[in-house]
Amino acid sequence: METREGVILLVEDNPGDEALTLRALKRNDIKNEVVIARNGPEALDYLFGSGIHEGRDLPVLPEIILLDLKLPKLDGLEVLYRLRGEERTRLLPVVIFTSSNEEHDQANGYALGANSYVRKPIDFEQFSEVVRQIALYWLVLNEPAPARTRTWGSSDPAAIGELFKTQEQ
Amino acid sequence: MPTPALTPSAFGYAPFQKRQIWYAITITLTAAIGPFLLWPALAGRILAVNFLPHIYCYLGKPALVWTHVTADLLTGLAYVFISGTLACLVYMGHPDIPFHWMFLAFGLFIVACGCTHLMEVVTIWIPVYVLSGVVKVVTALASVTTAVLLPTTVPKALTLLRAVKSAEQITENKIESLNKEMARRNTELVAANKELDSFCYSVSHDLRTPLRSIDGFSLALLEDCQDRLNPEEKAHLHQVRAATKQMAQLIDDMLALSRSTRREIRLQEVNLSQMAREIAAQLQGSAPERQATFTIAPGLMAEGDPNLLRIVLENLLGNAWKFTSRVPQSSIEFGTIRQNGQPAYFVRDNGSGFEMEYVHRLFGAFQRLHDVRDFPGTGVGLATVQRVVHRHGGQVWAEGAVGKGATFYFLLRPQSNGHSVEGGQGWKHAKGSFF
Repeated sequence: METREGVILLVEDNPGDEALTLRALKRNDIKNEVVIARNGPEALDYLFGSGIHEGRDLPVLPEIILLDLKLPKLDGLEVLYRLRGEERTRLLPVVIFTSSNEEHDQANGYALGANSYVRKPIDFEQFSEVVRQIALYWLVLNEPAPARTRTWGSSDPAAIGELFKTQEQ
Repeated sequence: MPTPALTPSAFGYAPFQKRQIWYAITITLTAAIGPFLLWPALAGRILAVNFLPHIYCYLGKPALVWTHVTADLLTGLAYVFISGTLACLVYMGHPDIPFHWMFLAFGLFIVACGCTHLMEVVTIWIPVYVLSGVVKVVTALASVTTAVLLPTTVPKALTLLRAVKSAEQITENKIESLNKEMARRNTELVAANKELDSFCYSVSHDLRTPLRSIDGFSLALLEDCQDRLNPEEKAHLHQVRAATKQMAQLIDDMLALSRSTRREIRLQEVNLSQMAREIAAQLQGSAPERQATFTIAPGLMAEGDPNLLRIVLENLLGNAWKFTSRVPQSSIEFGTIRQNGQPAYFVRDNGSGFEMEYVHRLFGAFQRLHDVRDFPGTGVGLATVQRVVHRHGGQVWAEGAVGKGATFYFLLRPQSNGHSVEGGQGWKHAKGSFF
């Protein structure tokens, strides 16, 4: 499987799950760079070039964020809320990757703009397959929003709506 | 959750008052018309105004006579009406009315007064002064007796009034404290539910995470150290993985059980037959090679929460499917019987059955009657079924025999009157206390 180049941001506090995700990627021959954030603020620091990621090459955004929900300091939903509030990360693909199958987590996740919600299986063979499919979809099949829109173009839905109105006239 | 507040309810006296008025009207009419019926000549004599024997008493003026006659007649009839009403009140409310003898004395006094007025009218035409005198004496006696007795009841009546008032106060206080207690309980319940929610969240997230590591790293060892592990060591790791799976299933089932308790019930008309057909198709699809017959009665409707009822049917049909896995031809039936005039639904199978001796353990959480090597499971399914059925106000029970199959019945809330049928019919089974 030839995946697009680009960073996978893995937001995961559990060392076991971190190691297993990395193992699953390796097992499926997915060679993308994986950046690991072990809590909410670390994830935001990476995305916005602050804190421990002060001064990194900002225009590089991850291709996909695998976001755990239960995290120290800021939990996954709050991280999602904050990055959806920022222009440069508004359209970044976010897959919630969690143990929880609570309805309210799913509902809140989607309400806050998650692109996908995947429950981590316990059986490692299934887990590995899930990781493979996520990578296949988001790094191969899915066409991301053009970088222009993500970084400096207009991604304001209201502005796009205006565009439709002009066309109708 | 809104709590219906208790209010001091008005006791239904409305029909009582209506009847009372009719009685009084009847008595009055009888008093007014009765004399004419008994003595038809009276009318003729009354109308013979010019032959009044006592016209001189009224200065010879017919107008004055009629004024007196009308006033006396009205007063007399009104008195009879009033005493009639009082008599009815005492007669009908007598166990609840204190001093009812006083009411009777008062009624008698009023009747007597009324009679003196009526006698005034009669004596204009007929000089029955002896009778009139007797009536006046009776009136005097009744009046004096009432007058003498009445003051003695005043302190008692006052005490009674105060007692009534304080009883009302006590009732109001009681209701108020009950309302407060209910509100407090409700708050507690909401808090407990919240706690349970976060507990379950924790269970679903935190208990699963280490399992993933146990399974993942066991498999990592199996894969990475394939050449260095002997068959026994590999078997141990496989056992670790199997146990992990079992634990994961337990956690999921436990969560399903707790959700069946927490989830708000939304009642609607549910087509159980349709639901059963869908589940049967899924089961058959999971093992197409199995020889199985599903007999599903058509058009079985129930009022309940569709999501929760699906859990019930999935568990019962799933169990039937599981426990018939060793018979060459599985036969699973979903239907209904009448139980005390209500439909009781059942799922019957021709599977391994169970010993009736242990029926009380069937519905307890984590209780199993079969070896997990014969039939896998966590022992949570039937506890969940029972929980859901109880939440609908219904009941669940089972019949079975080893090797002869099992039948599971469930009864949902009766649709006619909405009363719970919990208890009272002798099908009490194991109460699986959980959480």
